[in-house]
Parts: sequence; structure tokens; C-alpha cells
Amino acid sequence: MVLALILLVPLAASLLALGNHRVAPWITLVATLIVLLLSGRAIWAVVDAGTVSALGGVLTLDPLAALYLGLVAFVGFTAALYSVGYLAARRAGQTEGDSTPRYRQYHPLFNVFLASMLAVPLAANLAVVWIAIELTTIFSAFLVAYEDSAEALEAAWKYVALTSMGAMIALLGVLLLYFGITNAGQAPTWAGLGLAAPGMAPAILVTSFVLWLVGFGAKAGLVPMHTWLPDAHSQAPASICAVLSGVETSGALYMLLRIYPSLSANPGIVNPQGWYLVVGLVTVATASLLILQVQDFKRLFAYSTIEHMGIVLAACGLGAGAHDLGATYQFFAHALTKSFCFYAAGLAVIVLGTQRIDVAGGLMKRSPLAGWSLLLGGIAIAGAPPFALFVSEFEILRTGFTAHQYLATGLLTVFIVLAFIAVMYQLGQVVFGETTDAAAAPVSPLPLTCRAALLIAAVPVLVFGVYLPPRLGELIRAAAMLMGGAP
Amino acid sequence: MQLAWSLDGLIAALFAVFGLGMIVTRQMLGVLQLFILHSLALAASALVLAVALGSPHLGWVAFITLTTKVIAVPLVLRWAAGSEIYERREVDQVLTIPISVLVAAGLALIAWVVAGPLVNAIHDRPFAAINVPTGLMSLLFGAFTVSVRREGVAQLMGLLIMESGAFFASIVLIHDLSVIVEVAAAIDVPIAVLVIGLLIRNINRVTGMTRVGLLAELRERR
Amino acid sequence: MSPITTHLLINLVQVVFLLLFSPLLEGVLARLEEIIQGKRGPSVFQPYLDIYKLIGKDEVVSEESTWIFRFAPIINFTMPVFVVLLIPALTSYPLFFAFMGDMVAVGFLMALGGFFVSLAAMDTGNVYGPIGASRTRMVGFLSEPVFILVFFSVSYIANATIPYIVNATWAESWSSMLQPAHLLVVIAFFMLILADEGRIPVDSPSGKVEIAMIAHSKNLEYSGTSAALMKWAGAMKFMILMIVFLNVLVTPWGLATTARLSDVLIAIPAVLLKLFVFVVVLAVIESSLAKLRLFRISEYLATAFVICLFAMSVRLAGLG
Repeated sequence: MVLALILLVPLAASLLALGNHRVAPWITLVATLIVLLLSGRAIWAVVDAGTVSALGGVLTLDPLAALYLGLVAFVGFTAALYSVGYLAARRAGQTEGDSTPRYRQYHPLFNVFLASMLAVPLAANLAVVWIAIELTTIFSAFLVAYEDSAEALEAAWKYVALTSMGAMIALLGVLLLYFGITNAGQAPTWAGLGLAAPGMAPAILVTSFVLWLVGFGAKAGLVPMHTWLPDAHSQAPASICAVLSGVETSGALYMLLRIYPSLSANPGIVNPQGWYLVVGLVTVATASLLILQVQDFKRLFAYSTIEHMGIVLAACGLGAGAHDLGATYQFFAHALTKSFCFYAAGLAVIVLGTQRIDVAGGLMKRSPLAGWSLLLGGIAIAGAPPFALFVSEFEILRTGFTAHQYLATGLLTVFIVLAFIAVMYQLGQVVFGETTDAAAAPVSPLPLTCRAALLIAAVPVLVFGVYLPPRLGELIRAAAMLMGGAP
Repeated sequence: MQLAWSLDGLIAALFAVFGLGMIVTRQMLGVLQLFILHSLALAASALVLAVALGSPHLGWVAFITLTTKVIAVPLVLRWAAGSEIYERREVDQVLTIPISVLVAAGLALIAWVVAGPLVNAIHDRPFAAINVPTGLMSLLFGAFTVSVRREGVAQLMGLLIMESGAFFASIVLIHDLSVIVEVAAAIDVPIAVLVIGLLIRNINRVTGMTRVGLLAELRERR
Repeated sequence: MSPITTHLLINLVQVVFLLLFSPLLEGVLARLEEIIQGKRGPSVFQPYLDIYKLIGKDEVVSEESTWIFRFAPIINFTMPVFVVLLIPALTSYPLFFAFMGDMVAVGFLMALGGFFVSLAAMDTGNVYGPIGASRTRMVGFLSEPVFILVFFSVSYIANATIPYIVNATWAESWSSMLQPAHLLVVIAFFMLILADEGRIPVDSPSGKVEIAMIAHSKNLEYSGTSAALMKWAGAMKFMILMIVFLNVLVTPWGLATTARLSDVLIAIPAVLLKLFVFVVVLAVIESSLAKLRLFRISEYLATAFVICLFAMSVRLAGLG
């Protein structure tokens, strides 16, 4: 029942938000709060009972899905809170001659977008999961194109075209897998996949996997299908960027993580870890190198998303032991940290009036809150202690070295360090230094809701590096076991 | 059964030819008409298989394909994107048409080769040898169309034939996808067309053209 | 009658069939197209009247031209007559001369005629002749690969290149007709007929603008009997291509199966009916397309080539 409500509440909110656009932000806020509470309840139930299902098996939730659900709900809530103030500030800040933003469509689309993302972990049938993923792309198209400028529309087009292309490729993979599972007499769900995988003909499983890798990889921003990501994640308004970077790409990555244990379980498939490792390393390498020459700090965070997706994949591929806690914790921490980073970036955009690194500068002087949050966000996403990403990356590297994968882990370390340096250098230019005249605009006070969202989002970022609540730790451990690692 | 096999093969050949036609047609209206024929071929194949395998579910698939892809998509696209985009033709192309056509032949070959081991691994699905390679071929043709064409409508049609290809391959494999799921997957197509059509309309409004392949403002500048 | 006489008579009947009915086919096609365009159109027997009128006129021959100009119409006229003896026009069993040449020989004979006509077009010093000749050669060499692929694709199934054997293989059963390779070959060959015959979308058969002509500018310089022969030869070539297309590829039925004269005579209306139906389809298709610009013809033929390539690969992959 709870699971069904999680889906129904945002849909209802979307309809209500269509009615009255003045009240819409608050409706969205209330809806996302309800969803967060309901998800919390569902996750509690999963930690106790292992797997929860509703509506006669149409909706299910197991630990990995519960983890992702929690992330979606939390990021959705903070984004809804943030967008209340952010959109108003952007509207006030538009000068004459700028294009008209699509204010009225924002909240209905946001709710429906959130509902489709919530459906990804909840749906039991694989084909329905695919439909949910395709719908997340479709509903976020006009959210990305919010600014209504030529660049925003270009970003939206590239986003929709490339991710839909990926989704169609993945469709064939999903249908092939569906066939393989039902042929083995299992139900077409994740559990069924796990049961059917050992006996499935390797050709079917391999073809499905390659199609998934290309298809869902395009949506997750894996190289070389990543070209849409920096554009879409920099042109969208900051709250949407947070949701896209934080949880939507993680959703595609979630699919790739879920197929991994099936590949390992099938004896006919040779070295699935190799695939994950190579793709992950190439992605991390490309992203780190690209961060060096980025010129826009929201694009910086977008490339950082690509890098972290690569790290999670490489962690999976680093063999026995590396992927159980490291990858899951990285997946978890990245969503929370990246959304925080984008909230900070949004505040920086409000204060500085520009996204470009060479034009911006002196953020700390103009607004200490924005400056400190951007700096902290940068440090956190680059993987420095005492933040959560440091713990997960350290765990990954440690288990990589103990598994004797020296070359791969060494390369991974090099690229992570490279990205760290690049992020710090670029953000330093924005945060410190003097303001240039071009960006000199009167400093309006930062919206209250934005600051509140920032603070709420900061809590997990600051806390989870040092202390993990036991229930949450149990959940992460259970999720990791589902990915096929040793306890 | 022999007749059904031949008929299905015939329909698969037409499916491939229509997909090829969509790669080379310059006029947007022509691309749309070829898409309608392509979807008709998909529905016809589903119907033939429904009769040959005695599966009423595939009959539903044919009917749903007919209503969503053949009827709803052109109407929705016309409404969303505005009818004057159909008068567009792609004047300059990324690859010349003879080269595109040869690349398409190469892609067809790749589809055949890749589908080989897959078809061998699939037992007790008699028509798999025809539909699976052809579906994969259509997937590759669609991906090629999206990459190579500059016009927005052509790229959209490329996406749609990718989905048609995936379904063409799957109708021989899966006989019991529940009707709700089938309907949901089918409704997803007009919604996608609606959103993408509106996007094309807005791109036309803001930039004055629909040649989305030429939008290249966002990149790292030195 | 002795078997020899019957055979000779049947051969003769086949040749007369071609000679007699080819202008009628042209006339019907022209009339149909005009009707579709909403006009009345000339009488279907107009080509006969034209040929008759032209034969009665004097010939004017340029002093600059050589023997090629005088002999080209004759060569062009006799080639189709030879060709019709090699293809299944009225009978499904091979006639006397059938084994003297297969489909490649058919192509060669037709090319011989075309070769002389092209040379003759350049012979007179008229400006438009060489333009038309060079364009025809361009279309010709672009369509050669398709021709060859079509013929070999079709022969691969029948394991022979003799048209009669191919005809017999296709005519066996419905299911052998309904193979995807067959359909693809049919599509490719149809596109080829449109290209080779100077029909829309490649060339305009009724257009009179010399600078846009491809195939029809070769006939500009002829007068009197030569013009009549060229016109008749054009009609015969068209009918031959249609006969090959219909009797070998699309509808290999309705042909005489025994060596009795009466059977052969009954086959004539059957074949005429098939030709007429095809002419209707052709008229509709021609009226709904627009002429391609010259440089687009290569794209058109490239598409035909790839479709044929598909047919070959489907056949080679053993999927029918």
C-alpha cells in the first residue's frame, strides 16, 4: 500500500499543480515530503523483512532498490524545496531581452518526472522498468529546456535524442532478457533474473548485456556516449541538474549494477568484470581529462558525474570483494553529494550572474554562504576526507589493491587524483579572487528556501563521512550483497 | 506453416527496404510516409505470426501497433510540430546518399552476423531466424539515421524505427507479455513523439530552423 | 505438320507478336498517363499511325555522318528481334534458339544496339545528340551493377542462367514465389526498368525540352524510315524488358506449355493481359513521382543496387 502511494502522490500533485501555478511550488513541496516519509517507512520495512511487495507483486522493493528509492525521494525533496526560491530568483534576475522561462510547466513536469523515477526501483516487471526509464527522459526534456534559449533547446534535443537512442537499444536487450527469463520458467523480475541466469544460454545473456551496456550506458553518461551529459546538466536549472546528475544517471547505472550478478552467475560468460573495469576506467579517464579544460562550473560538475559513474563501474569490475561495499557506498554518497554541489552552483549562478569560470570570480567575497558551500561541495565531490566519497573511494582502492589488480587500481587512483586537482583548481578560480566587472550585478539576498535546501542537503554530505546510522549501514550491506559480493 | 514462413520473410524484406528508404529520403513528408509503411509492416508481421502460432496476444500487438504508430504518431506529430515542417527537405547531408546506402548495407551485414549466434541459441521459436536479424537491422538503421541526418523529424523517425525494430525482433520471442505492459509500451511512443514534436516546434521558434544537427553552440571553447 | 515446321512457326509467331504489339503497348501507356492527368490523350493506335506516316516520308541524312548513322537504326531494330527468341515470351519451354544465349547474352545484344545508337548520336554533329548519349551512358554504367546482380541473384536459385529454367523454378509453387529475396529482386529490377527505359523518375518520356532529355535526344536527327525503325525499336525494347520482368520474375504463368500452335496462340492474350496490368501499374507509379535531377540518378541507382545486395545476402544466408 505504501509503495502504491509513493507513486500516486506525485501524480496527484502534478495534476493539482496544473491547476494553479501560484500554489504549485508548495503542492510539490508537500508531495515530495510525503513521498520522503513514505519511502522512509518502506525502507524501514525492507531492512526488517528483506523484500517488500505490494499490489500482488506488481511493485516490489529489495535492499538495492530501497537504497535507490531513498536517494530519489531525498533528492526530490531537496530539489522541490530549492526550486521554490530558485525559480523566483531567476525570474527576477532576467533582464529585458532574455527568453521567457516556462514557469507554469515546471512543477507539473517535475512531479511527473519524479513519479517516473520512483517507478524505476518500484516496478517489478523488467519491461515496466524500461518504460519508466524512457519516461524519465521524455518528461525531463522540457525541464532541461526551461531557459528557452537556443543553448537550452540544443541541450534538450541532444539529451532526448541520445538517451532515447540508448533506451531503444536497451529495449531490445530488455526484451531478449525477458525472453530468456520466461523461457527458463521464472517470473520476469529481478529475482527471476537471478534465478534464471545460471542456466540461460550465454549468447542471449551476452547480447542482452552488450545492448544494456550501450543503451543504459548512454543514459548513464558512459564514454563514448556521454556527449549529451555536460550540455543537459549545465543548461538545466540547478534544481533539475541536481535531480538529473544525482539520481537520474544513477538510475541507468542502477540497471547496469543489477545485471552484474547474473553475468557472474552464468558459467558460459567469461570475465564480466573485465567489461565493467575497462568501460569504467575509460570513462573515468576521459572525464578527468575533460575537467581540465572545462569553462563552465556546472559543466564541471557534470563531468564529475561522468567520472563517478565510471568509478562505480570500475569498482564492480575490480573483482571479488571490491564491489560489495565500495561500489554501493559510492553510488549512495555520490547522489547526495552531487545534488548538494548543484545547489551550491545554483546559488553561485544567482550571485555571480554567469556560469563561466573565466568571467566569474570572488564568490567568497560577495556571498560567504555561496562561496563556502561551493568550496565544500567541490572538496566533497573530488573525494577528499572527511566526506563520504572519500570513504567509498578509499574502500574501492583498498580492495582493488588487495585483490592484486595493481594496474587497474593504479590507473584509477591516478585519474581520481587528476580529477581532484582539476576540480579544486577550477573551483578555486570561481570562489577566490576578485570579481570582474562583467559579472558585477547587485547582490540580491539568497532565497530562504534555497538556503534551507542547501542546509538539508549538506547534512548527509557532512555526516556520512564520519558516521553512518546503523540501520542505513545494514541497508547498504544488504544492497551490496545483492550485487553479488562476499559479506 | 511454409506459407507463413514465406509471408513473414516477405514482410521482413519490406521492413528492411522501408528502413533503407528512410535513410535516403530527403523530404520530411517522405520520411513520415515511409515510417507509416514501416509500422504497417510490423503490424502485418505480428498478424501473420498471430495466425501461424495461434497466439491472440500477438493479434493485440498488431492492433495496438496499428493504432499507435500508424494512426496516432502522424497525427500527434502534425499537431505538435506544426504542419509546415513537412515541407522541409534536407538540402545538405552529412554523408552523400550513395555512401549512406553502402553504410546501411554494411550495417545490415553486421546485424546478420551478430544475430547468428543469438538465433542459434534460441530454440523452439520457429520464426526467430527471420525476425531477430531484421529487427536488429532496423535498430542499427535507426541509430544510423539519428547520427547522420540533420533534420529533427528525420532523427525522430530514426528513434521510432529503432523501437519498431526492437519490437519486430521480440514478437517472435515473447508471446505472453501482459497486455497492460504492451499497451503501456505502445502509449509511450505517442507521448515521446508529442514531446519531441513540441521540442522541434520550439527549436524552430527560437532558432528559426529545424536542422537540429547544426546546433553546435555548446562545447568547450578555448 | 511436322515438328520442325511447328517449331519454326512458333518462333515466327513469337517474333510477330513482338513486332505487332509493341507499338500498342506504348500507345496504351501514353493514353493512360494522359487520362490520369485529366486529359483525353491520343488514340492507343497512334504509334502505328506514326510509324506508317514516317515510313512514307523522305529521309534527310546529314552529309557529315558516316555509315554508323545509316546502320544504327537497322541494328537497333534487329537486336530485339534476336532477343525475343531467347526469352520466354509465349512459351515456357525453350524454343529453337534458346540455348544459344542466356540472360547475359540478352543483355549483350541489347547493349550492342544501344552502343551503335549512342555512336550514331554523336555522328551528326548535332549538339543535343552527344549530350543525350553521354547521359544515357552514365545511367547505363550506373545500372550495370544492378543488372548483373539481379541476373545472378535470380540465376543462383535456379542454378542456371537460361531464362526458361529460371522461369520454371519460380513457377513451381506459391511459396517459392513468396521469398524475400524474390521480392527484393523484383523491386530492384523494377527500379532498373524505370531507369533503363527512360521513364519517370529518371527521364521524361513525353518531354520535348532537348536540354533535359536523356534517352530521347538520340532520335532527334532521324527522319523517314530510319525514324520509324528507331521508334519501333524503342517500343520493342520496352516490351522485351517488360516480358522479362513479368514472365521470368513476377508472374511466370499463362505461358504455353506444349508445342501445339493453338496453345501458343491462346498464350498471346494471356501475356497481353499481364502486360496490360503491368502498364496500368506503371502509369500510376509514373504519374505520382517527379523527375529526379540528373545528379540524383546515381542515388536512385545506388539504392536499387543495395536492395539487390540485400537480396543476394538473404539468398546466400539461406533464408529464402
